[in-house]
Order: sequence, then structure tokens, then C-alpha cells
Amino acid sequence: MALLEVEDLSIGYRTRLGLHRAVEGVSFSLEEGKSLGFVGESGCGKTTVGMSLMGLLPRNGEVLRGRVLFEGRDILSISEEELRLLRWKKISMIFQAAMNALNPVKKVADQISEAILAHSSSVSKAEASRQVEGLFQLVGVPKERMRDYPHQYSGGMKQRAVIAMALACKPRLIIADEPTTALDVIVQAQILEETRLLQEQLGISIIFISHDISIVADVCHDIGIMYAGELVEYGSREEVFDSPAHPYTRALLSSFPTLTGNREMLKPIPGEPPNLVDPPKGCRFRERCQEASHECSLISPAWTELFPRHKVRCIRFERKKGPQ
Amino acid sequence: MKGDKEIRHRPHWFEQFLEGWSVFWQNPLGKIGVTLLGIFALMAFSSFIPPLVNPMYHPMTGVDPEIYSSVGPSARHWLGTDFMGRDIFSQLLAGARIAFMVGVSAAFMSIFLGTAFGMIAGYMGGFVDTLLMRLADVIMVLPTLLVVLILASLFGQLNIWTIVLIIALFRWPGVSRVIRSQALTLKQRPFIEAARVAGASHIRIIFRHIMPNVLPLAFLYMTFRVTAAIIIEAALAFLGFGDPGTVSWGMMLQWVWKTGHMFKALYWLLPPGICISLITLSFYMIGRAMDEVLDPRLRREETAR
Amino acid sequence: MKEETGTSFLSFDGVSKFYLSRGRMLGGSGRQVVALNRLTLDIRKGEIFGLVGESGSGKTTAGRLIVRLEEADRGIISVEGQDVTHLKGKRLKDFRKRVQMIFQDPYQSLNPQLSVLDTVSEPLLIHRVGDRLSRAEMVMNALQSVGLSPPGDFVHRFPHQMSGGQRQRVAIARAMVLRPDFVVADEPTSMLDASISAQIFNILLEMQKSLGITLLFITHSLAAARYLCDRIAVIYRGNLMELGPADDVIQRSRHPYTRALIDALPKFGQCGETERFNTFLKAERESSSTVGCAFFGRCSIANRILCSQEVPPFKTVSPGRRVACFFAEEQGKNLTASKTCHYGI
Repeated sequence: MALLEVEDLSIGYRTRLGLHRAVEGVSFSLEEGKSLGFVGESGCGKTTVGMSLMGLLPRNGEVLRGRVLFEGRDILSISEEELRLLRWKKISMIFQAAMNALNPVKKVADQISEAILAHSSSVSKAEASRQVEGLFQLVGVPKERMRDYPHQYSGGMKQRAVIAMALACKPRLIIADEPTTALDVIVQAQILEETRLLQEQLGISIIFISHDISIVADVCHDIGIMYAGELVEYGSREEVFDSPAHPYTRALLSSFPTLTGNREMLKPIPGEPPNLVDPPKGCRFRERCQEASHECSLISPAWTELFPRHKVRCIRFERKKGPQ
Repeated sequence: MKGDKEIRHRPHWFEQFLEGWSVFWQNPLGKIGVTLLGIFALMAFSSFIPPLVNPMYHPMTGVDPEIYSSVGPSARHWLGTDFMGRDIFSQLLAGARIAFMVGVSAAFMSIFLGTAFGMIAGYMGGFVDTLLMRLADVIMVLPTLLVVLILASLFGQLNIWTIVLIIALFRWPGVSRVIRSQALTLKQRPFIEAARVAGASHIRIIFRHIMPNVLPLAFLYMTFRVTAAIIIEAALAFLGFGDPGTVSWGMMLQWVWKTGHMFKALYWLLPPGICISLITLSFYMIGRAMDEVLDPRLRREETAR
Repeated sequence: MKEETGTSFLSFDGVSKFYLSRGRMLGGSGRQVVALNRLTLDIRKGEIFGLVGESGSGKTTAGRLIVRLEEADRGIISVEGQDVTHLKGKRLKDFRKRVQMIFQDPYQSLNPQLSVLDTVSEPLLIHRVGDRLSRAEMVMNALQSVGLSPPGDFVHRFPHQMSGGQRQRVAIARAMVLRPDFVVADEPTSMLDASISAQIFNILLEMQKSLGITLLFITHSLAAARYLCDRIAVIYRGNLMELGPADDVIQRSRHPYTRALIDALPKFGQCGETERFNTFLKAERESSSTVGCAFFGRCSIANRILCSQEVPPFKTVSPGRRVACFFAEEQGKNLTASKTCHYGI
């Protein structure tokens, strides 16, 4: 049985202009020790999905439909108290620009050992600080910097400290939301490398959220492409990158400059994502899609399984696969 | 789509106002504050009516020819009369007018000065900043009330407008500090740098780019300044340094006290006291609710990203 | 020195910029930080020149010195032979008509209180170009050319009514409306989604083509620099490391720092260990900030004695190609196009 199973998750935000349907019918599952990446433009709902898994939706956010099964329990229906126990201990999160999450007036090591002590009463203080030492070693921060304050750290080191904090209670799942956005390329590469190693060594499952498809591809086993609140393509990294099926995925991949090969003109995706207060009928991508036909505005595309680990929501594949 | 177009043709400030108002009105503090203020405004406007009904209801000069001392409420005098037989209710209405006049004009002037000095100090920095801020410090530590008392004892009775001016002159430093810090952060913002790269002059940057961004804050501070101005005026009047030619709530309290009716005529003591408390409270509540409008972090309902 | 074709439009000649880091509360005078160290560089008329580096490399400082948001402490910046390092008053204002900037963060670089029309027409107003009507027309044209069409739909919008990509287009329109000769684009896409970046890149390319603008493109992304630029320079802690035609610098990199940047890009597909240069030391070694090569502390191919004591000269290794490394000629390995291994931005 999968560690995390999300079924038909729909989330809305109440706004002055009406219900903003941020996430619509998202389903996926994550095996123990695997990593899954969500890619999409800002506002596509990827962050909202991550927040809802932690039970941290903003106050005007509301789960409209669906189930989130973590270790077989539906975490959308458990109490706030139980949820708090789950957080950090079982599921932890690395936020966007998480380095600002460190308390500036406390030593970094103390903050992490506090997190450990707060969640397991059986651990002694000495034991906690020994664990912190191990964590620092794990994420590659020199031991002698443990007693420093956050402002004495560089951006990359702060991010490592935050990762150490996320690992503090040995969670089974980490949700990383754009953890490297604010960092330089070289530091980013190191953090990604670190993440990959940790994941392999400790067998932690990771959900990785980013607007940058190449970062996700670097780290994750499986990839979900999100557009306007919906998953549009889902599959193993190799499948999605070697044979992208959805027009949006292909458009994303061809809007990237590369280092090698010919310098071809990039083909940006025209237009803007739709307004989710009043989402368009049919396929949500159709207004920006080069291959859209009349049918796309009538029918909301269903999932088509191309390969055992690769599925897509586009009407063109439905037709191909359909009865001849 | 249609709605989208309509919004676009409305002026920006109007749209902002509407959006702000909807947040404001959801706040109970704002609702109570505005309602209270509405009642006081109604009182101020209707203060012209009693003298028209009968000259004896004139708050200052009207005296009931049949009454020679303070009497309690009756059908003829809803809240009773003072020691000379003047109608307390019509005095109360006139007091509302004075309170608005003093509060709003003093607050407006101090905000004007504070905003101007704050923007200049924050944007120009260096020597100008130091000079203005030291001046602000000096004024800020002077006890307003004491200085006004000294001035009053030097120059005799002060005119109500002189009092307003003095309050304004003493109350700008606090505002200027807040506006200055705002201007300091604005100055670092790339859109100011963009204007500099485009070749904009200092005057242009201050008025075109900084001012529109500090005005909402200045407006917020104005509500708090109104409160302060009303209280100072009341205190001055109660201590006997008010303008003897106007009927303010503070003056009314002074008359109660001076004629020895303090604890004998509650119908005379309570109304002005309650009014002073309520009007300052209403401005304060409006300010608090506005704070929430201006600072989205305080909003209870964030709009979705 | 003369390099190949093209006349120099803008040149840096030994330009340095220092900042004082603030000292401790009591005592301590603050440390001097070198943002740019004797930068010498020519940008040719009509080209897109890329300045690539990480944060703190001084790349943004270089741009800010050109548009005079800051002033150089040493050296000369000249435009078409005219010294513009310390222009003042009227001459500075005239200079600003010719040189514009596009800022990094479109959420910060537009005044939230001004409409698109007011924002884009401001430079025209400042320099008293045209009358009300012709200004409005110029704004419309500028909006059209950055792909905000129909422009009538956008002129009355305010920043908060637009997406990040649309805001950045407005910022580009503002920079272009005066038809400047030179534009500094400071990481114009780093705050935008990867998918939106391509739109902005193409707009910049088109602008440069149709208006003949010379462009300085400041970026941390080698891939973006390769896509846009004719020539690029790699900068590290205020020092130029490598310079040359874009493709050449990336595919035949000679400097270990450039190679470290290439290594750091996220890769996907089948990428073997052989594709890596491994020139970046994981643990920084002790180094001096005043003597020796700036990259010594992180360089895996450094010579302990030579590189820590002497600053490598910025020598020409082939026509138009310069590298600041003692071992530039010995670096043979090139970046090969691989069908299976892709690099991200």
C-alpha cells in the first residue's frame, strides 16, 4: 500500500470575487522512499496541494472534495490535535525561502534540538543535541558552525539548516516547495544533490514542487504536470521527458534555452492561465493550445493511460485509444 | 469578462476605496466606529436647529427667562439647563460641531506638516534628515499641554483657532517619524530607482512616486490625531484656558465644575463627558479598522494567490 | 585592445566599486568590500552582451554604475568615447535619455499607484517629448511592441491587475519608449516562471533587432545568456573570469569557474559522470581576498603556490577570447552536445 494516496482532491479559496477553484480533482499516490515532483506555472495549484497535505491551508481555503490517505488514514478528517502530532513527526515541509523561517535570536542548533524535544518526550537533552550533530553532518554543515546564529550563515547554509530541521523528527514524507528558488546555481546544485542523497540513504519520500521542470527532473522519480488546478500529465521521469504527451508539457519543455545543440528560437507559451473563479468549460489549456480543436471546448478530457506509468489528460489521446 | 471591463473604467482611487471599504465594513470595530461618528455628525449638523426654534435655545446667549439656576431635564429642556438657564441639549449639539472642527482641522494640519517633513527627511536623507528629525525630537518631548498653558497665561485667553494651530504644530513630529520611515523603505524600492533612471527630478519622485504611497498611512494617522486634538482641547477648556466665545464639551465641563455643580447635577456633568469619550473612541475604532485595510497581513480573509 | 569587428559602444576601463560593510555597534570601522575589481570591458554597438555570475559577483553593480544609480570609485566608463563616469545635472539627464534599465523584480519596479499609461509615459514627460496625444500614441506603440495587445486593454490597468509576465513587459515598454541606445536588463526573468521567461527573452531579441539597441543582459543563467547574447563575460567576486562569443565560452569553456557553473545546472536524461568537469571544491580552502586568484578558494585545479600568490592575467587565448586562468590552455575538454543529457536553465 502506498504511503500517501490522494484521491480526487479539490480545493477552493473564498475570495471577494467568488470561489477560486485552485485545485480540481487531483489524484496521485506516492510509494515509500520515492520522490514525486509537481511542475507548473505560478497559480496552478501546486503549492496549494502541498499545503493541504500538511493541513496548512490559509483560513479562506477549503477542501471541497476528495481524500488524502497517509499511512491509510484520511488526514483531512482527523482533528487539529492529531494533525499537529503528524506534522514534523511524520510529514514535514521545506517552504519557499524557508531560510527566513529560522528564528534570528536563537542559535541554529538549539532551534533544531527544540524541534526534536517538542515532538518526542522520551528524548533527553543530551540525546537531542547528539542527534542535531548527526543532522548537521548529514546536510553538510560543519560542526563548528552549530553554535552560530542564523545571520552568521550564508543563504545556502541556512537552507541546509532548514532541511536539517525538516529531518529532525525522522519524518516519512517531506514536502519541498521551491526550496532552491532564492539560491545561486552552484548552491542550488549542492542542495539538490544533498536532497537526492538523503532521500536514497534515509528512504524518505519527497514531494518536490517547482516551476522549473529541470530541477524536478533532476531529483524526482515521478512527475506530475499541473495546469490551472488540474493534473494534466503524470508519469515516471523518463517517460514524461523522453516522450512528453500533453501539449502543455511539450510547450513547457520547448520554452527552455539549452546549453548544447543549435540555438533555435524558443517557442513561448502564448497567453495567460485562465481565471479560476470561473474556469473555462472543457479543457482548461485549450485557449493556449496550438493543437486545440472544437471538441476541446466541449468535453473535459479524461485520463488516458499511455504506458503503465504514464498517463495524460488530452482529448487527442482519448480518440486514439478509443474504440476503433 | 463584462465585469472586468466595467472595473477598468472606474478611476483607480475609487476602485481602491470600494475594495478598502468592503474590508472595513466587515470589521465590527469599523462598523461601530462609523455608526457612532455618524450620530455625532448628525448632532453637529442639527446644532443649528434649536436657536431657530426659539432664541432661548441658543447655546451661548440663549437664556430661559423663567429659569435662574440649573434645573434637571424637562419637556422644555430635554437635558436641563445650566446655572444661567441655558439649554444643555443645544450646548451639547454645538459642542459636537466644535469637536469636529477642532479635531479634524488640527489633525489635518498636523498630518499635512508631518507628511511633508517626513517625506522630505526620508527621501533627501543626510543633513536635511538630521535637521528635521532633531527638530521633531525636540518638539516631541515638549509637553503640549504645559506649553499651551504657559502660552495662555502669557497671552490671555486663546482663540479656538489659535488652539487648533498650536495642537497642529505640536503634533506633527510623531506623524513625520512614521512617514519618514515609510519614505526610507520606499526610496529603496526599485520603482523609485526606475524613475531615477528615467531622469525624474527629486520633486517629481517625492510627489509622483512617494506621496501616493504614503497618503493612506497619513490618513490612518489622521484618525488617531483627531482623537488627540479633541482630548487636548477638552483638557484646555476644562482647565479654563479655552476660548470663552465657543461652547465646547470641555467648556461645559468647566462650567459644571466652576459653578460647583460637579456632583449635584449629573444631567449636566455626564452628557459632555460621555460625548468626549465616545467621539474619541469612535475615531480610534475607525483608525483600528483602517489599519486592517491598509495592512493586508491583519486581514482575516486573505485573497487567494 | 582591438577585437575582431564592431566598434565599441560602451567601455569600462579599470572600473572599481567598493562598499563599506557596516562595522559593529561599538568601535570597528567596517570592512571594505570590493564589488567590482578593475573591470575592463568593451560592449560593441548593436550587440547583446551577457554578464554572467552568481549573486555577489558584482554583475548587478556593473549595470547600476552604467545607469548611474551608483557611481564608480575608480576607473572610467565611457559611451562612444565620451566619459560618463561622473556626469552631473543637465548632461546626466540627457545621458539618461539614451540609457535605460529593466529591473529584476517586476513586482517591485512598477509604482503600484500608477496606471500602465502613467508608468510608460513618465520618461516621455520627464524629457518633454511630444504633446499629450503623441505621447499616448508612443505608449500604445511601445505596449504593442512588447506584446501587450490590444494596448487599449492595458493602458488603464494597475500593476496588481496584471501577472508577473505582463508587468515585466510594461517595465520593458517603459525602458524602450524613449528609444534609448543602450539598455541594461538586470536578471529580467529571475522572478518569473520558467515558462514566461521565454516570452521575455524573445521580446528582448526582437527589440534589439528592430530598434538596434545595444543590450547588457545580466544573468545567473548560462543557458539564458547563450540564447540571447552575442558575447558573454563570466564574473566572479568582482573579477572577470572569461570572455568571448557566447557559444564558444559555454561549449569550449576554459576557466574552472565557468565549468563549475555548467556543472551546477540541473540536468535530466541520461547524464553520466563523464559529462562533469568537477572543478568546484566542495569545501572552501583558506584564501586571501587581496592576493592571488579570486577563485582560488574553490578551484580544484589550482596550483597552491602560483594561484594563491599571483592574480592570473586576463590573457587572450584566441581572437576575441580571453581567460583569467594560468591553466587556460591546458583545459582541453569541451562540452559536447548529447542526445540523452539535457541541461536546464
